[in-house]
Amino acid sequence: MNVKEVISSGLLESYVLGTTSAVENDFVHDLCKKDPSLIKEIELIEEALIKYSSQTNNEINIEIKHKIEEKLFSVTNHETPNEASVIQLKDQTKIIRLYKLGIAASVVFITTTVFYILSLQDKLNKTTDKLAQTTTSKINAEEELLTQQASLIILTSKLDILSDPKVKTIALKGMNSLESKSALVHWNPTSEDVYFNSLSLPASPTNKQYQLWAIVDGKPVDAGIIELNSDSTFQKMKAIKNAQAFAVTIEKVGGSVAPTMETMCLLGNV
Amino acid sequence: MAKKPIYTQDDLIVLIRERNQKAFTYLYDNYSKALFGVIHSIVNSQEEAEDVLQNTFVKIWNNFASYEEAKGRLYTWMLNIARNMAIDSTRSKHEKIKTKIQSTSDTVYQKNNLVVDDSSHESIGLKTILNSLKEEHKLIIDLAYFEGYTQEEISKKLNIPLGTVKTKVRQAILTLRGLTKTEFLQ
Repeated sequence: MNVKEVISSGLLESYVLGTTSAVENDFVHDLCKKDPSLIKEIELIEEALIKYSSQTNNEINIEIKHKIEEKLFSVTNHETPNEASVIQLKDQTKIIRLYKLGIAASVVFITTTVFYILSLQDKLNKTTDKLAQTTTSKINAEEELLTQQASLIILTSKLDILSDPKVKTIALKGMNSLESKSALVHWNPTSEDVYFNSLSLPASPTNKQYQLWAIVDGKPVDAGIIELNSDSTFQKMKAIKNAQAFAVTIEKVGGSVAPTMETMCLLGNV
Repeated sequence: MAKKPIYTQDDLIVLIRERNQKAFTYLYDNYSKALFGVIHSIVNSQEEAEDVLQNTFVKIWNNFASYEEAKGRLYTWMLNIARNMAIDSTRSKHEKIKTKIQSTSDTVYQKNNLVVDDSSHESIGLKTILNSLKEEHKLIIDLAYFEGYTQEEISKKLNIPLGTVKTKVRQAILTLRGLTKTEFLQ
């Protein structure tokens, strides 16, 4: 089955619905590896189903999210209650003397405290305002930090792919219209994974798209269409087994079966 | 406010494996409603659906090691967990009631009754999208999506040829995608 036949067979719908067999799952997974454009089709099916079952009148209680977060992430510190201290009875006279002293001390204490409280009141008001501001910016900063941590993890995982000693990085040099530009292809001949790094590539002309080709034994093999609109500069392309060179041409939207040699704009030998 | 990132499935999987809390937030914000819709259609009670949703996310997070990308989409895996937990929940609830009323068995009947009862979908209250879906398409999609019926099972249950089921599932999803068949075949 070719990609178009697979799409129209209804297999992908069953795949997302989770009703395919293990063999069929393997088949779809392999096919996606060979042609990542299939993943888009799968994502669209998934999106439609997600939208469908999200259309419910029953709202989820917002507390549910916090409850789960508490279960999964809160560091529970079980504080042991302070042990009740044992007070021992002293003799009577000592207690009375302590009373008198206590009352005198209390009067002094209360008076000073009242003045102190009044002077603090004003300070407190100002501080509360400041604190509210600080808390908001702290929450924002924490949020930002979490996002940054997440992107760092993603970057590291991509770096891991590239640091594989089997990966060859091929510099594609600009020619014709793109003389001063360049791009990179990262290719792992063992896993057959191909990644395209568009670097400084300008947007393609209107109604045109860049297409990557692998040159295998002198013949061009389609390696997929380059999506420049996505913010990722690191795009997974079609799997390629053997290649002596990689080239980029400018083709009509959706790509071509054979490259247009006149529009070749980037080329690099492995 | 920090802008909301969009993660691809690959990125999201990396983040969940790293136990990154952002990944949980993302999962919940993007999938809880859809999973809740599925769960609610099975258990048919707000409170029970919320309980099942909670347990589902805890299970998704804690059992993530058992997810394999090669075996299917992340959403499909989560959907399966949600579906199974909802069915288990209804089953145990039914069994509790049953043992109260009658001590005899007949769990097979219970089980079938559970998945066959189509009236349970009504409460999901699908609004705009639903209206665009033909009744027969909706029935088939609901069986496959909410109940986890395979196409063979749907074919048997509704007594229509397997090929027709395949076409109808695809047509229904194309409708949900807002595509007409002709548009797509171009």
